[in-house]
Amino acid sequence: MSEICSHEYWVRKGDVDLYLFRKRRQAPRARSGEPLPVLFLVHGSSFCGRSGFDMQVAGHDDYSLMDAFADRGFDVWTMDHEGYGRSTRTDGNSDIANGVDDLEAGAAVVERETGLSRFAFYGQSSGALRAAAFAAAFPERATHLVLDAFVWTGEGAPTLIKRREKLDEWRSQSYRKVDVAFFHSIFNRDKPGLSEPFVPDALAEAELQHGDAVPTGTYLDMCAHLPVVDPGDVRCPVLIIRGEYDGIATEADLLNFFQALPNKDKQFAILPGQAHVAPLGVNRHRFWHVMESFLTMPARVDGAG
Amino acid sequence: MTSPMVDNEAEIVAEEHWAKKGDIDLFLFRKRRRDTQPDGKPVLFFVHGSSFSGRTAYDLTVPGRPGYSMMDRFAGRGYDVWTMDHEGYGRSTWSDGNSDIASGVEDLKAASVVVERETGAGSCAFYGQSSGALRAAAFANACPEKVDRLALAAFVWKGTGSATLAKRRERLAEWQNNTRRPVDAGFFHGMFTRDRPDYHDPEVPDAVAAAELPFGGSVPTGTYLDMCANLPVVDPLRISCPVMMIRGEFDGIAGEDDLFAFFSALPNKDKQFVFLRGQAHATQLGVNRHRFFHLLVDFLAMPERRDVEAEVG
Repeated sequence: MSEICSHEYWVRKGDVDLYLFRKRRQAPRARSGEPLPVLFLVHGSSFCGRSGFDMQVAGHDDYSLMDAFADRGFDVWTMDHEGYGRSTRTDGNSDIANGVDDLEAGAAVVERETGLSRFAFYGQSSGALRAAAFAAAFPERATHLVLDAFVWTGEGAPTLIKRREKLDEWRSQSYRKVDVAFFHSIFNRDKPGLSEPFVPDALAEAELQHGDAVPTGTYLDMCAHLPVVDPGDVRCPVLIIRGEYDGIATEADLLNFFQALPNKDKQFAILPGQAHVAPLGVNRHRFWHVMESFLTMPARVDGAG
Repeated sequence: MTSPMVDNEAEIVAEEHWAKKGDIDLFLFRKRRRDTQPDGKPVLFFVHGSSFSGRTAYDLTVPGRPGYSMMDRFAGRGYDVWTMDHEGYGRSTWSDGNSDIASGVEDLKAASVVVERETGAGSCAFYGQSSGALRAAAFANACPEKVDRLALAAFVWKGTGSATLAKRRERLAEWQNNTRRPVDAGFFHGMFTRDRPDYHDPEVPDAVAAAELPFGGSVPTGTYLDMCANLPVVDPLRISCPVMMIRGEFDGIAGEDDLFAFFSALPNKDKQFVFLRGQAHATQLGVNRHRFFHLLVDFLAMPERRDVEAEVG
């Protein structure tokens, strides 16, 4: 792997300070002199940007999605949404709409630092909802959209059926407690054995340093407010990635969303040997492969691309 | 029988082979890089469709337009690339039969014997386009042990909602009463313009005609008949390998719902469904074929699984 450099940034959203993190190869520009293509990673409900996308595990140097794509020539960014990680912990519940506002603020920093106003977004779980909702609200910002462990209407989703049992809790509180056992459950609830045993502990160690609670807003949205994204409003090329055992959505729900996407540059990939958290799964290299293929699709030559 | 030929400029080696299916001689064509080992390379088999033979579809030369040979493209990447002319097409025996999908499956069985003999590979990846995708998928039904990966472009399952097949059914009696149908330059132009006129280089239909018409000016009716009257001819539940489905934005050969239903029914969860803008029916001969090649390369190069299930699944 080539040498990767990193930078931290902060952006204000009203009274809220939002943390951004960036990784790329040492050379800041591609050989052509053009800026490196930007890939913005959007985290989900239960852990912040660096915990999920830049995990560093002693003896295992390939758990950082940021490093993987920085090494592939991307200028990789992520952020901690309001109430997560290093960003300000407010009284709000950091729901999907709030996450869209965070991304609007984050995108301004990316544009200032890179000169690019449009870039690729990847979102995982409720991060995919945030990213898709952002792409729908700001279509001029998104060149590509990768939706991993996404859910549209939520109909029939085993994970959400289970999660709704605590709907009153998500409604009445802005934060929910997380601990080591909770992080283990994320990896074991669908299909045990598709992540290495040390991963939940490494994730817990990274995340619990920021506190033992995360916002409830995305849980509430996923349990009670779906759909929060209209596929007809998503204009850019889209890749939907579905882990074989992921309980967050049914395959039919995702295919219905996929079919309704108006841009005919679209891909739907199901990955066997994957559950809910593809970037931290044992077969994450296959997920990288599919995502890189989508992000490096050559341009059309018929004049309409 | 083998006739070595070498394209020095591209460092691609070409060979001709023949397979026997009863009294029928079937022509096979192989291309690979000169510097790759004869055994152990990935084998990739291209299956042609209803209206032109293997080399016309996959090894086409277009004057003034490089890059139309899909065989060269993949051979250059290290694949051992094969195609064949099905019964009644190109250099293969022109029989009294109509060379339907079932006949095409028998052709592929005969060809796979030759491929295994020459390469040592008992199974390989298959790509089929249009009714070639039906042949390839039906072969994967019949001989699942011989198909590692399957890419289906311009595929149709039941035919429901297909604009092209609705039009084609107007001549169903002709396909039922004749084993061959005439083709000419006008027909080949129609193939490229029927869905959208602007997604191919203008020289391509004439290049296809120039390559294909010397074989005689007619092709079998069997795949047309199957597509108009006998669908479905493939059971998705009996395809056990990973599958990629590729759908051109303007391809009229199938309705989207038809393809979604097929994709949903595929039991192997290693599957991808890709839509391509700027493409109509002739996937590998369109102006944006480089984007299709990009997808197919990556599908074929998918890394191995690391979990235990992969060892038994």
